[in-house]
Amino acid sequence: MPREYLKMMNHRQWTAAVAIAGILGATACHLDSLTGGELSTDPNNPVTATNTQLFVGTQSALWALWGSDASRTAGLLTQQLSGLARQYAALANNYAINTNVTNGFQRALYVSGGLVDIKKLEAGSLAARDTIFLGIARVLEGAFMGTGADLFGNLVYKEAVTGNPTPELDDQLFVYDSVQTVLSAAVENLSVEPNSNNIGPGAGDLVYGGDPAKWLALAHTLKARFYLNTAETRPEAYAQALAEAKLGIQSESGTYFGAFTQATGENNFWYQFDIILRGGDMGPGIFLDNLLKSRNDPRRDEYFAHDASDQPVDLSADRLRPDFQQPYVSYDENTLIWAEAAYRTGDQVTALAKLNEERANHGLPAEAVAGQALLNEILTEKYIADFQLGEQVWRDYTRTCTPNLVPSSAAAGSPTGGDIPGRLNYDQSELNTNPNYPDDSKVFWNPDDPPNATSDGTGAACLGR
Amino acid sequence: MKLLRSVSMALALVVAVTSSLLAQSGVTITGTVTSDQGVPLPGATVLLQGTNIGAQTNDAGRFTVVVPSARANGQSAVLTARVIGYSAASIPITLTAGSSISHDFQLAVNPFHLGEVVVTGAGTSTTRERLTTTINTVDSSALRRAVQPQNVVSALAAQAPNVEVRTQSGEPGASASIRIRGATSLTGANQPLFVVDGQPIDNSTVSTQGGNQGTVAMNRAADINPDDIESIEILKSSAASAIYGARASNGVVVITTKRGHAGPTRYTVTSTETWDKPRVPDLLQRTYGQGSNGVNAVCGGPDCAVTALSWGAKLAPGTPVFNHENELFDTGLTADNNIQISGGNERTTFFASGGLNSQDGYFKGPNNRYNRASARLKGSQVISSKLTIGGNFSYIDGRGKYVQKGSNVSGIMLGAMRTPPNFNNQETYTASGLQRPYRFPEPTSVGSMLTAAYYDNPFFVLDNPGNRSELGRSISNVNADWNPLSWLQVQYTLGADYYNDSRLQALPLTSANDKPGNVIRFLANNLEIDHNLLATARRGFGSNIDATFTVGQNLNSRRYRQLADEGDGLIAPFPLAIQNTVDKGASNLLTLVFPFSGTAEFKSLAHIESYFAQTELSFYDQLVVNAGIRNDGFSTFGASTRRHNFPKASAAWTFTKALGDFGSGVLNYGKLHFAYGETGKEPPIYAAVTTLTSGQTFGSGYSDAILSSINGQGGLVTSQVEGNPALRPERNRENEYGVDLGLLGNRVDLSATYYTRRADDVILGVPVNSSGTGAQFAVKNAASITNKGTELTLNLRPVTTAAFAWDVGILFGQNRGNVKSLAGAEFIPYNTEGFNGGIGSSTVGFAPGVIRGSDFVLCGRGLHLNDAAQTDVDAVCGPEANAQHALYLAANGQPIVDNTDRVIADPNPKYTMSYKTGLTLWNKLRLTGLLDVRKGGQVWNQTMSVLNNFGTSKLTEIRSEQGQFGKNYLTDVYPHVAGPGAGVVAFHNPQEWQAWFTGNGGGFGPVGAQAVEDASFAKLREISLSYTVDQSWVRSLTGFSTVDLRIGGRNLKTWTKYKGYDPEVNLGGAEYLTQGIDYFINPPTRSFVLSMSFNR
Repeated sequence: MPREYLKMMNHRQWTAAVAIAGILGATACHLDSLTGGELSTDPNNPVTATNTQLFVGTQSALWALWGSDASRTAGLLTQQLSGLARQYAALANNYAINTNVTNGFQRALYVSGGLVDIKKLEAGSLAARDTIFLGIARVLEGAFMGTGADLFGNLVYKEAVTGNPTPELDDQLFVYDSVQTVLSAAVENLSVEPNSNNIGPGAGDLVYGGDPAKWLALAHTLKARFYLNTAETRPEAYAQALAEAKLGIQSESGTYFGAFTQATGENNFWYQFDIILRGGDMGPGIFLDNLLKSRNDPRRDEYFAHDASDQPVDLSADRLRPDFQQPYVSYDENTLIWAEAAYRTGDQVTALAKLNEERANHGLPAEAVAGQALLNEILTEKYIADFQLGEQVWRDYTRTCTPNLVPSSAAAGSPTGGDIPGRLNYDQSELNTNPNYPDDSKVFWNPDDPPNATSDGTGAACLGR
Repeated sequence: MKLLRSVSMALALVVAVTSSLLAQSGVTITGTVTSDQGVPLPGATVLLQGTNIGAQTNDAGRFTVVVPSARANGQSAVLTARVIGYSAASIPITLTAGSSISHDFQLAVNPFHLGEVVVTGAGTSTTRERLTTTINTVDSSALRRAVQPQNVVSALAAQAPNVEVRTQSGEPGASASIRIRGATSLTGANQPLFVVDGQPIDNSTVSTQGGNQGTVAMNRAADINPDDIESIEILKSSAASAIYGARASNGVVVITTKRGHAGPTRYTVTSTETWDKPRVPDLLQRTYGQGSNGVNAVCGGPDCAVTALSWGAKLAPGTPVFNHENELFDTGLTADNNIQISGGNERTTFFASGGLNSQDGYFKGPNNRYNRASARLKGSQVISSKLTIGGNFSYIDGRGKYVQKGSNVSGIMLGAMRTPPNFNNQETYTASGLQRPYRFPEPTSVGSMLTAAYYDNPFFVLDNPGNRSELGRSISNVNADWNPLSWLQVQYTLGADYYNDSRLQALPLTSANDKPGNVIRFLANNLEIDHNLLATARRGFGSNIDATFTVGQNLNSRRYRQLADEGDGLIAPFPLAIQNTVDKGASNLLTLVFPFSGTAEFKSLAHIESYFAQTELSFYDQLVVNAGIRNDGFSTFGASTRRHNFPKASAAWTFTKALGDFGSGVLNYGKLHFAYGETGKEPPIYAAVTTLTSGQTFGSGYSDAILSSINGQGGLVTSQVEGNPALRPERNRENEYGVDLGLLGNRVDLSATYYTRRADDVILGVPVNSSGTGAQFAVKNAASITNKGTELTLNLRPVTTAAFAWDVGILFGQNRGNVKSLAGAEFIPYNTEGFNGGIGSSTVGFAPGVIRGSDFVLCGRGLHLNDAAQTDVDAVCGPEANAQHALYLAANGQPIVDNTDRVIADPNPKYTMSYKTGLTLWNKLRLTGLLDVRKGGQVWNQTMSVLNNFGTSKLTEIRSEQGQFGKNYLTDVYPHVAGPGAGVVAFHNPQEWQAWFTGNGGGFGPVGAQAVEDASFAKLREISLSYTVDQSWVRSLTGFSTVDLRIGGRNLKTWTKYKGYDPEVNLGGAEYLTQGIDYFINPPTRSFVLSMSFNR
């Protein structure tokens, strides 16, 4: 009997064990899925993009680089705009720039729509053997990194977006040289005949409609711009700039602009800033307005609105439209680079002709000046034409000290010692995460930068320096 | 009352019918259950062991168990009586058909509920005597008397030590947060896992528009009808909650709902009415009118814009003034009605309930309500002697209407409290029906209001019908209990928790926050399916060793869907619907920075596949050892690290069984226990991959932004947050040491627990080098947090006679949290938690969730002034002032702003205590009271600071006096002063006061620290008197056997130095880690309660 009982128990145990194992196993098989589908893949956001989608996103990031925070800062420091309230008053009057105030400006070069996505676009274009798209992507890369060198000086480029958590910085000149290399490659790519592979962004390009010829001209003008920005230490750059300007943007239709619209989230940055978000924080620059007035320049009303007593009160209504097509690299700039480069390489005839071509385009009478006065006229004309063009106006000022701006008297106690700032600090977040950066929290001027101009176009001492 | 009467008549009819069905010729066992002092014990379970046959005692302690004739074969059986708080007792009986047995049980007081079964999670249970960890049990009667009994989380306030509960406000539909033994994580709100009848449920709190503004949002555990709850076990220690692995690092709240018992069908109809009034401490001045610099502002005619400030002249005598707080409120009424029917026989049990909780809030008007209707049917069926199956089905319908609140120019308190005392908000509309805000009192058209900057008239806010929510939810399961062998039990639960939450949050035309009108729709649905299979083997080895071995499997699937849509610019004033807006699917630019803008969708799916095993060994009935492990596989774990183990081990030794009472005669019971456990928290969903975004490519520090898609061309850019496929769960390790003592003939019981816990691999977004990585943050397991604490529970029963009983309970809890490291960072800010002047953060060296901001220059901080001489502050102050951290005053008698960003407030209390006591007379009349004490912790009273700016706070009456720091102004924050301006009058006239308060001294100035206040309080949470009517006339009149009557008061008195509405409320609600921010919050309530319960 006990034997019998034990046997029965064993049998029952066995049955129970099998049953449990069966239930466990069956249900496990049924739901044994920790991967796949929505479990592993974010169903809300894509992880791959077409070349055109990357291009559209990257291009809007470029407009932000040239149209938002950094260009407002450039406008304040070059006295094209004035800071009236809150942070912008401190920025304009006290040169209150530090690693925290402009934190994020540098990051924009690399993240979300910056170099990280340009690299993806280049890889995607290569994979599709779309040479035109590759060329356009390289123009974008040159635009981003060249502007970065303008703003910050030495910069991470060689090891940028490689995944290296603590990349080395490259010299500013190395960055400019690399920009020339990538733009030269772009020129080569864009010169290829279109074929079934070579289609580029097409309608996705809201500025040039995918026209390779226009991108090619833009590439040359950018090359000219960045050559000029190295000319303080490399006089041979003037000739290089001249050669590029001759191939650059030759008409208004070639001007590169931000294709803003009236839709929310696609508005011109100045409309957002001045009308929606921070009305009263910034206003017209008195220096620029007086300059325009003294020169009877019709652009005075094009740029600024004036009250009954002829005082500038705000940007003009046209420039505050939500869909104002803000120019960033213009026919004007190319013409004046040509003029300056011709002058610097000894061809005053061409220089004057180009100056007068530019003046005629804006309804101004021809001038007949020569020597230092001609250079000063060219640079002053460029200062005016550069209004709201982006950060190049600031770079031209630090390069030429023309016009010879009087620094804000309230800035004597600022870290610049009263000088007009010549570059931006690195982002606090970059300094915190990479020991390779120099201490940038107190030293405003990067010692490795090329020297800035010590005199203006007329030979007078630079007041802002 | 009419409803109740008809219900009771209907029930009486049912009773009559069922009673006749129960008359059978089996064995009838009757008797009473009393304490050893002769006090009848209601609610005791009398059960025939090994069967489902049993009954519960009525309020007189009487029971009747009927054994059907089919089950009465003359065999022997054991009848057991047990009730919480007393030792169980058993007698052997013989079941002979047709016989009647009478037996009375006398149960001894059992301080630690030693014989009680304690649910230990994932289907496991043990007896309290064998418990090796700290688990607090809250029973249904405590829940019923709680301060906000409609929300089960609020109801846990002051019920267990180191279980910190905060209810966002006294508004209907407001969320409550619960934090057990401090925060262990830096993301999310550190809420515990909620498990109902073995099934995890969702307790998220999701605001429609971020917690600082919009309207309140409910925490989803509040959907459960508390009247359905039998008991709640709070698994506090990591060892106790380790059985839930990577979902348990914030503890587990295990809820068990009521069930039916074999025996006569029981009926309970309960109706509770609560009258709610807000606690309004009268914060506003009524002396000075609208104006500036002592000059009154007068509206210059139609479309005039008038100053926001109340810094005008003293109002002429007889000028009408208004109480802008009280005028908003009336008495809120919460009606809670519940019907429960339960019963069954030896094969079938059932419990059915219906509840309607209808809250009409304290704001005037119809748009301040929350209704919850719920129904439950729970049953079990014995299929064979080895198999029982059960089901538990509940449905909840929740509907709310809300009032806009908080940091929001259309928020009710913001507009109301900034209104000058001489402006009549109750004249809400112009003749043409436009609202009259005090800054724009005579609008002529909607168009004229579009350009004016103002706050909404609060009565216009109250009239807004556009804030609503509708929720449908089902929490249901089926379960089986199979005992294939005498020593083997297999339990299975398959549950589903599904809800659909549909919300509208709209601002009508002319609303200050969006003048053209705005409509937000928010739809969410959530489905969680949980499968839990458990096999338990129990075996004795000889008479001295018992072993229990459990293996289990848990499969879980959570699917969430959310759609938010927004329309801007109403076409016609009504309806408040998206198709009636100009800009559909888009949003105004100002809201672009919020979590969603325009139309946005969010979906997620997560799976769990886990196995666990645990064993419990008991030696000589005095030493219990428990060990277990859970192996977790979560789809949210990084792909390269898919499975993780969470072990636990614990032991308890009832030393009095081995050593006696040491001859003292005092010590009746003593147990020591130690536990080690590990728990985890899963990574955020989809954190493994770096995605692309179609949202904004760029946003400047000043909010201008651009989307990646332009003019119909789709654009995508890489997210700034770098994914991490190697993310592990956060891991929380805890040592717990405890002792339980029963003293003086069990008149005193004392439990003490000490724990140390350390959370490692805590996940946070670590800043990374953008130039190298192309990202701004990387999600990493990088931070560490420790918590250490002590918990004490003391219960005293000085008198326990039949005629009179008195008991006292004291709880004490203390927890010290400390963020040990943040991957090298000093702090991480929570930018959405708080705002300019005070931002929530986790900072190394502090508990998670401290508030950062700026202070004035204080002595002893090593500061130098930013003047030409770079003055060394500490050198000027001297040693005494440095030690006191005195306020440094400049020569003009005013302090200087110190721009250093630092921790200015720590909302975490030093300790919490609660005292409860009860007096019982003749077991019928019972008086109970609960006093809740919180010591320490701070609140950032930014409401007051901003009202100072506007000149409406009572404090600004100081403008008629001269003001001097250290003497008559801000002395509670800065009692000591030093520097060249010490003793100098800083403010001489109202103009100087205005300049100060609208500058550095007010809420829009840079100094948040001056508004930090001590949040200590003592609150008389509850006092109630209940009486049980059980005379025979009750039955003849109502058909019920007993009627319980209760009157009570809640939050009747608060003792606090806090100057705002209440030190407990919080702007952000349960979804935020940072608590302790007061910004135009809606006040909590004080209530009067009347409750009637009819039982049979």
